Amino acid sequence: MMRATRKRTDVPSLSPHWFQILLALADQDRHGLGIMSDVLERTAGRMKLWPGMLYRNLSRLVDEGLVVEVDAPEGAETGGGRPRFYRITALGRRAASAEAERLAGFVEAARRKKLLKA
Amino acid sequence: MSRQAPWWISLLLRLYPREYRQRAGPELEASMTACVERERRTGRRVGAIATLLTMDALHASLLVRRDARRRRRLTGFAGDSVMQSILYDVRDGLRLLRRAPLFSLLVVGTLALAIGANTAIFSVVNGVLLRSLPYRDPDRLVLIYEGMTSFPRPFGFSAPDFVAFRERAQSFETIAAFRSVEYELSGVDMPERIQAARVSASLFDVLGIAPAIGHFFSRDDDEGRRPVAVIGDGLWRRKFGADPALVGRSIILDRRAYTVVGIAPKGLTFPNRGPVMNNVPADVYVPISFTAVELASFGSMYNNSVIARLRPGVSFAQAAMEAPALAKRLLAEVYPTRLMELTATTYPLRDQIVGSVSRILYVLMAAVAVVLLIAAADIAGLMLTRAASRERELAVRSALGAGRLRLMRMMLIESTLLASVGAAGGLALAWWGSRALLRASPIDLPRAQEVSFDLRVLVFTLGITAVAAIVCGLLPAWESSRRDAGPALKEGGARTGSAGVRQRRIFGTLVTAQFACSIVLLAAGGLLIRSFVRLLETDPGFRTENVIAFATSLPAPTYARGSDLRSFYERLLERVRQLPAVTAVGASTDLPLSIRERRAFTIEMPPAASANLPRTIAHDWVLGQYFSALDIHTIAGRPLGPEDTASSERVIVLNETIAKRFWPGENPVGRRIAWGGDRNHGPWMRIVGIVADVKHAGLAAPTEPQTWSPWAQVPDGLLGENIVGLFRNLKVIVRAAVPPTSLVPAIRQEVRALDPALPVTDVRTLDQVVSASTGPQRFNAALLGGFAGAAALLAAVGVGGVLAISVSRRTQEIGIRLALGARNGDVLLMVLRQGLTLALLGIVIGLPCAFVITRLLGTLLFGVSAHDAIAFGGATLLLLVVALVACAAPSVRASRVDPMTALRID
Repeated sequence: MMRATRKRTDVPSLSPHWFQILLALADQDRHGLGIMSDVLERTAGRMKLWPGMLYRNLSRLVDEGLVVEVDAPEGAETGGGRPRFYRITALGRRAASAEAERLAGFVEAARRKKLLKA
Repeated sequence: MSRQAPWWISLLLRLYPREYRQRAGPELEASMTACVERERRTGRRVGAIATLLTMDALHASLLVRRDARRRRRLTGFAGDSVMQSILYDVRDGLRLLRRAPLFSLLVVGTLALAIGANTAIFSVVNGVLLRSLPYRDPDRLVLIYEGMTSFPRPFGFSAPDFVAFRERAQSFETIAAFRSVEYELSGVDMPERIQAARVSASLFDVLGIAPAIGHFFSRDDDEGRRPVAVIGDGLWRRKFGADPALVGRSIILDRRAYTVVGIAPKGLTFPNRGPVMNNVPADVYVPISFTAVELASFGSMYNNSVIARLRPGVSFAQAAMEAPALAKRLLAEVYPTRLMELTATTYPLRDQIVGSVSRILYVLMAAVAVVLLIAAADIAGLMLTRAASRERELAVRSALGAGRLRLMRMMLIESTLLASVGAAGGLALAWWGSRALLRASPIDLPRAQEVSFDLRVLVFTLGITAVAAIVCGLLPAWESSRRDAGPALKEGGARTGSAGVRQRRIFGTLVTAQFACSIVLLAAGGLLIRSFVRLLETDPGFRTENVIAFATSLPAPTYARGSDLRSFYERLLERVRQLPAVTAVGASTDLPLSIRERRAFTIEMPPAASANLPRTIAHDWVLGQYFSALDIHTIAGRPLGPEDTASSERVIVLNETIAKRFWPGENPVGRRIAWGGDRNHGPWMRIVGIVADVKHAGLAAPTEPQTWSPWAQVPDGLLGENIVGLFRNLKVIVRAAVPPTSLVPAIRQEVRALDPALPVTDVRTLDQVVSASTGPQRFNAALLGGFAGAAALLAAVGVGGVLAISVSRRTQEIGIRLALGARNGDVLLMVLRQGLTLALLGIVIGLPCAFVITRLLGTLLFGVSAHDAIAFGGATLLLLVVALVACAAPSVRASRVDPMTALRID
């Protein structure tokens, strides 16, 4: 839908929702419902993605070139209707790992300050 | 897993825009259903779930709508056609222009002036030079002149030569003679002098035109000397109310009735301005009908122009070869006495018509185009600065997905908008400007009446508007699109060093180019102004203060015999002399600066020095106190006076040039010369005096040999002859002790007293006559000087603007310098140096170009070389001063920067 040909050298920091969505897509392509349940399971119910904001965020991620839409794989479990699957792009992966590093840095700092056990 | 979705979910879906719903609706619905299922499993009530989902849908749908709006505005929507997204940009651009009205007004105004000037000049170039002449196959038309190799310019055909030439010529399909004449048109309200042409019947075939009404006259009409006439469209409408019934009726020309046989087609202009003779567009065409006297006048009266159409298959070069050969044959076959030499030259009609003006028109076109480029460079600089201040906006657009091409297109659309509004204004200005240009044009510009706004002019305007838009917009577009979005997005993002350096380089190049172009225009303008000044300094050879001239033309039917003319002019001069405050009254066949008559002469006992000199001179017949009325200085002997009557010895007065050239170191007073060749000359005329040189062919023309003889001594038979009208159309010159225009009513009264129906024409002071002669140079100097001035001004704006921007960007740096102990003077000099370096660099680059380019001015210059040091030095100095003044304000401002405030910025 959008031109995603821009070079993007610096990656803006990601909102928690975007980070979680990218995280969900990091190991496999998923459709919207799949992302929803993955995030819910992974965060043990602490982060709930509501459908409206999820799809809006997905479309913004597509706009930003962090995620692309792909056809559903053969025999994929679908969530009803005609499912669209999302795949993380290289840029998305870079953005997510940069964010993870940033978070890891915070965690490391917390560790040094003895807020976390080593 | 899926079950029937609750009814309210479809209501929630309605919150989203339709296209979003169409795309993501089913999945959204499925997800919402799944969500409801999931939440119920955790024990939530449906009401609570519905509330949460509604809030989510409201929030998301609002954001989705905002995203869509933003995307549309900034980047275009995938579903939008290119046209639509361009429309968004146009709307955005208009909004921006409205938001910065001063900027818009400045840019639009500058562009309107520049585009208007370009269009105005181009419309003239188009009408005069580019459009083909309004005849059939105009490229096949040629003008033929007779001439002598010893005489500097060609002259027309005599009647017998024309007839013989027409019989023998092979290269031409049709051939016609024509001659400009003036007639008194009477019988319709006030009598009026009108321009007419006596033409061969074949002229209309040569031109390939058909009459609007009636028919053209025939060869029988011509050779039978029937009084018939073809009326030009203009006169027909102006004087006869475009009445078609005029055909068949009579009009009165010079008090003789001519039957109108036809009306010329609308838009016919003939003869054309431009050629050396017979070049006054006519309102009436009558048969040339050579008289017996004319047909027998071998070796004189070379006053007919000849136009011909090349025979199909004959090239211009072939025709040009045939003409001189034919002239030789004429000498051998038809001339009763031997003439030394005779030749004939062929010129393409178009070259003859527009040749004299094409150079200045092209020079003006080039100059005005350069002005447009300089203006566009200024605007490019302005837009570049504005683009810099819009950095954040552009970065946001880019971050939201506007590609580089799209950003460039956006900037170009903005500059196109500015240029288009400018072009609309420019067209209006040009409409007025081209008219003003033609009115101001001192020379009767050939084809002036054909200047109009046609498709080609509009296409040209469109073209230069596009060029202006690209020049103004492309650079800023390129610059801002290559910018990095990242840093700009951050609040207070500092300008990166590399972008600053690059921009400074771009600004520098623009300013340097502006100054290079300006120096070329200024040097050219300076040369033309110097030419004009030189011309003003030229001594015409007579004193113009308090002198006025007017013309009368005595119609042949009323003044048939020579004695009628004599008695009229003697009485007229006597009456005018009696007027109070009149100190001297004279008359002549032509006024100084515009003497038409050229004659061949022979010398009794010629001095050795004269052996190989061309024996042609400019000649004027004079009456009354001609020399004292003009205050022409007598060098030797005496001027002509009342003692030279029809019955006294025939006498003549020479100018200094001919005396020195033919009788070097000798006083020719007392010797005799005669008209004609050595073997068949007229009666001898005694040289009684030598007078100072008088400019006879315009101030700019070199002084050639000239003579004066008494009009009173012209034989009665020649005076009465009405072929040329030379002797019945005298210019009366009146010197007074008071401002001479106050005498005009009294002079008219005296003429009316002698002949109530006689019009007084061409009433002009001699100051006006001289000033008209400097007209072309004044016009050229004013226009090119004006364009050069505009260029310098625009270049000044350019360098001043660039410095101002640079100073405001470097406020912090300057503050630090001052804080660290730099003196205000140092800062002032630093900024000044920055600006002047650019200007100087431009001048250094431009001067050699100017040196080469001014050579193209060539014949437009008078009395100065194309490399005149004063013009070049003056241009350089002027431009430096302009640059200095332009740089002064920003430099002073820089030196007054307060370090404390400067460092507080950001």
